[in-house]
Amino acid sequence: MEPENRISNKALTVWKISGLIGCSITWVIGIALLVLTIVFNWSYWMIGVLIIFSIIQAYLTIFLMPGVKWKRWRYEVRNTEIDIQSGIFVIKRTLIPMIRVQHVETKQGPLLRKHDLASVEISTAATMHVIPALDLDEADELRRYISRMASVEEEDV
Amino acid sequence: MSEPKRLHPIAVVLNILKSIKELVVPFVLVVIIPGRNEGIPGWIQPLVITVIVLFLIVLAFVQWFRFTYRIEDGEFRIESGVIVRKKRYIKLDRIHSIDISEGIIQRLFQLVKVNIETAGGAQADAVLSAISKSDAERINALINAEKNLKANDSVGKVKDEWDSGEEVVSASAVYEQTLPQLIFMAATSGAVGVFLSGAIAFILQFDEIIPFDRIFKNYEDFLGMGTVILTSFAIMGLLAVYALATLSMVMKYASFTVLKTEEELIISRGLLEKRQLTIPVQKIQGIRIVENWVRRPLGFSTVYLEYAGGSVEDKESLTIMLFPFIKKKHLHEKLGGILPAYQTITEMTPIPKRAISRYILRKMIYIIPIIVVLSWFFRPWGFLSLLLLPLGLFWAYMQYKDAGWSVDGDLLLLSSHLFSKQTLIMQRSRIQSISYKKSWFQSRKELATMSASIKSGVRSRVGLVVDVEEKDCRTIESWYLPKKTVDSQ
Repeated sequence: MEPENRISNKALTVWKISGLIGCSITWVIGIALLVLTIVFNWSYWMIGVLIIFSIIQAYLTIFLMPGVKWKRWRYEVRNTEIDIQSGIFVIKRTLIPMIRVQHVETKQGPLLRKHDLASVEISTAATMHVIPALDLDEADELRRYISRMASVEEEDV
Repeated sequence: MSEPKRLHPIAVVLNILKSIKELVVPFVLVVIIPGRNEGIPGWIQPLVITVIVLFLIVLAFVQWFRFTYRIEDGEFRIESGVIVRKKRYIKLDRIHSIDISEGIIQRLFQLVKVNIETAGGAQADAVLSAISKSDAERINALINAEKNLKANDSVGKVKDEWDSGEEVVSASAVYEQTLPQLIFMAATSGAVGVFLSGAIAFILQFDEIIPFDRIFKNYEDFLGMGTVILTSFAIMGLLAVYALATLSMVMKYASFTVLKTEEELIISRGLLEKRQLTIPVQKIQGIRIVENWVRRPLGFSTVYLEYAGGSVEDKESLTIMLFPFIKKKHLHEKLGGILPAYQTITEMTPIPKRAISRYILRKMIYIIPIIVVLSWFFRPWGFLSLLLLPLGLFWAYMQYKDAGWSVDGDLLLLSSHLFSKQTLIMQRSRIQSISYKKSWFQSRKELATMSASIKSGVRSRVGLVVDVEEKDCRTIESWYLPKKTVDSQ
């Protein structure tokens, strides 16, 4: 019995783009290193290592991981608890009772905003849990629902 | 107390000492390590140091002058700051507890240091570094009065308590550490490790200054003394460090007492520097029992309190010992007197046998490469590293044996072993969230890593058990969830 809701499938695009951004940083470093290597006549093994690294990075962060991550990501918000499943190689399942929730917020970076997505951050006294990349309306609805459910029962930390 | 008050002038000295303490590291880095600089006149260095010291003194004085505190409109108000003026207003009913401690300087002048703690978190707390005891008591009384006011919601009644000052607390010592316990505790504390690394760092830093040459005339003499004498020197040095470390622990934890009032635990300790912590029982999130490898065979353990409070600035308020040194078989009974809610059988469900290969594998993954590298490059002495193998196996076996969990009424107990055995006991209502995760290898064996988080200090404490039976994770999960889950959505 896995949690039933998936996150928005636009998350795939967002994760691929952010993977691309990460890779391009590696490329910029690589180009800078190449220039330095030529100018100062360093040995070329560093460039070799960096090229191999960037190929692996590109494959993992752009092609492999977003898909696996999306498939794993599930959540379910019930009356009394929030159930989250995430992970790529290690599957993690987290349970947060509603009465432990202290506050909920939705967050939107530039990348998420462009795709009308938002992530929901659920904080307890000791931990924070994020549901990334939900459709904006869904995220807002979820935030309202959780904060309403959480305020039903008040208990001390 | 609505008129602003200053701290006792001795706070100037405390300020100076504090800034010197903060400056020691940069001072060592800048002045001592580079050694003598050629080209700079000899008088420059003393001049710079004098200027810095003068500056510190003036700064400390101005800091003291600008620091005022008062209680006004139900708020504790502190104004401070030399260049940036800070005003810190804390609502009295937001104050959790007041810690009173006395350092050596405070004791000389019959003063106390007061730490005012609010709920752990972003808000910084207030520290009054030197005020008179009577002032501290008045503040305490005012805060308690304010709290009672909030609690009772009756306005008139509290006015009388205002003047009566001290609140009458009926407290009885529930735990007192005896002298032999204290000495044993200090001797097995492992503080020697911290001291030893400190001592080595110190010698490395100052080997230019300490006149080793003069002590040993010259290097040849030193070597000429022979291995026996050198070894005994080393052993004596180690013993001295060990004695020093033990002594410092004795001073720190001397006359350790736990008092219990209706709603609070009052823990006091210290010989030269006295410290008193007041902990509201309702803020306690769990307890942690630690058995290190020296104490364990003797049947002793240390019990810590996990408590939602304390402040980042004051590191000692974050790890609180309840029993520094207690025989494990007395624990049950002692706990009953202080925190009956945490009284539990410490018998636990072990993790399944098939997990042991994973525990061993996890050690071997890095031990074998180390052995290979050492044996290859440092023959023949590198072969000694083969000794790591049985050590690693033993360690893995201990970790396997100490891992386990149990559920007893409202309590969850998670036990694991990293360097020492650590048992976390939590109340269901204090657990903020639980989770379990499984890697591909784990799910093949139907195992999972179980964890539960509680609030502790300003962050959280996570209890974690690796390779629990997956079914057991489900059991813990259904124990944890509120019972009305069935009729969800």
